[in-house]
Amino acid sequence: MGLLRTLLVVALWDLMKLKNQKVFIAMRFAWFTIQILVFARAVSYIVSQVVLQYTGGVEYYYFYILGVYTTLLYSASIARGYMIADEFDDGIVEYHLSLPIRRNLLAVGRVLGSSVSTIIFTIPMMLVVYYVLGVCNLAIVMVSLLSAFVFSMGIVSFVILIVFSMKSTDLTDIVVGAIDSLLVRLSTVFYPLPVIAASGIAPYYVAAVLNPISHASDFLRILVFPEYHLIAPYGPVALILYIAGFSMGLLILAIEYYEKRLEAGGWR
Amino acid sequence: MKGKAIEIVGFTKKFGDFTAVDNLSLDIYENEIFGLLGPNGSGKTTTLLTIATVYKPTSGDIYVFGHSASREDYEVRKLVGIAFQEPKAMWIDKPIDLLNWHARVVGYSGDEAKRVVREVMELLGLWEHRNKYFYQLSGGTRKKVELAKVLIQKPRVAILDEPTAQVDVLSKHALWDVIKKLREEGTTVLIATNDMFEAERVCERIAIIYKGRLRALGTIEELKDSIPRGDVIEIQFDGLLPESLRSELEAYGRLELRSNALTIYVEKGEEKVIDIVDLLKGRGVRVKKIMVKEPSLDDVFTYLTGAKLREE
Repeated sequence: MGLLRTLLVVALWDLMKLKNQKVFIAMRFAWFTIQILVFARAVSYIVSQVVLQYTGGVEYYYFYILGVYTTLLYSASIARGYMIADEFDDGIVEYHLSLPIRRNLLAVGRVLGSSVSTIIFTIPMMLVVYYVLGVCNLAIVMVSLLSAFVFSMGIVSFVILIVFSMKSTDLTDIVVGAIDSLLVRLSTVFYPLPVIAASGIAPYYVAAVLNPISHASDFLRILVFPEYHLIAPYGPVALILYIAGFSMGLLILAIEYYEKRLEAGGWR
Repeated sequence: MKGKAIEIVGFTKKFGDFTAVDNLSLDIYENEIFGLLGPNGSGKTTTLLTIATVYKPTSGDIYVFGHSASREDYEVRKLVGIAFQEPKAMWIDKPIDLLNWHARVVGYSGDEAKRVVREVMELLGLWEHRNKYFYQLSGGTRKKVELAKVLIQKPRVAILDEPTAQVDVLSKHALWDVIKKLREEGTTVLIATNDMFEAERVCERIAIIYKGRLRALGTIEELKDSIPRGDVIEIQFDGLLPESLRSELEAYGRLELRSNALTIYVEKGEEKVIDIVDLLKGRGVRVKKIMVKEPSLDDVFTYLTGAKLREE
């Protein structure tokens, strides 16, 4: 089997699973739409006058819903990792390791498949956000999708590394839960960087500047509202390079782990 | 003489301090049906999973058609197909999706994959279950889905881990025929089982494994002949066996005693049985049931290890 065909077939595993989650996707979409149209408006109404001076002129509601979309992207990527943890629990990793596939291709295929599934899962939500923002530029939508895909690859690789290192559903829950709460909160998802800087909490600021979730959300903001780059920590090229570096680094680690260290057993 | 399909050389597998397989060495020849016989926890599955490169050996190595499982794992995986002891699927999976995906992974293109999957599912009586969720399938049907993966793949080496566990008696016979046909088509078959009837019925050579170590290896006849005395007398009795009787009974042959049953490996069992019953009655032991028989694989296993293949 050729390299591309192998990757495609492995990635189909995750897409096959997506097919059985129609109700779940519909429910998440409905909840996300309510969040964007109702709760996000309420939050923006409360804080918009205070933070407007820190958003480079971008209305806080717009700032906020792109942040909410980024957190959704992040949590959907993490959820793919939980599915892989469940698979480990059910012994499916043993099955995959026994297949006539090179381990490095198996790793890349799983990461690609999980990331594509995440993107398919989140496309309806992204379209709602862009509809609300009035974005109808196809190039912006395509670049957004591409950046979301690269970001998702990094998060999926990250969570795969945790799942396979922990080899325990409970430990995975605890570790990912802790990282999850820290990463999302210590980012610019909900607050612009100048607001965080003004808070005077230096660790919070440093974490937000280094946080890949900040970079992912800020990149989307600059893409839709170019004026936002005035308050973003880096320019769009630096932001996307940062995300790409983060994702590729973790993907390489995941490949290394699959090839050199991963074997079944020891789970539970 | 047939070439070696699998060569296991000083293979040891440890999980932490626990040694699952200890210095196992044996050869499996091309195009034979070979059985690994042993109770649960004896190291059978660990050995099979290491051949399939799912585990890595702690020491020693396993060669499949000359390829090292630890250094050439991908080459080995191209030659090996495995049906796991526990079916590998999640509750929301459907057999048709799993098998179509499996067919593609092992190299079939789209339409060809669908055709082969349908053929195999019909052969195993799975077609009517194709769109059910896994949680809706019986244990036996799930096992058939595992076997279907190997039949779709048609590997040079088929590894079947307890292939008929949870399968009803009628289906068992049908599956044994399928396994024999797989061998006729050129596949070397390695079966792990704790079912001595399955081993006798299907396997040509057998390795008996107990507590991670090889206890015996040979054809079924060779293994039965390894019991030095030809017959087995099984006696069930009421109450306790007086300790003094034990040494007297041991004079007839090797003795295995378990609660209210004893097994004696003797020569010319029909003649000795009368003396033994008289001896028991004379000491006030009430005999409930007595049987003289040819040794089975179960007896061979008990003779070699002092344990039973299956818990009673």
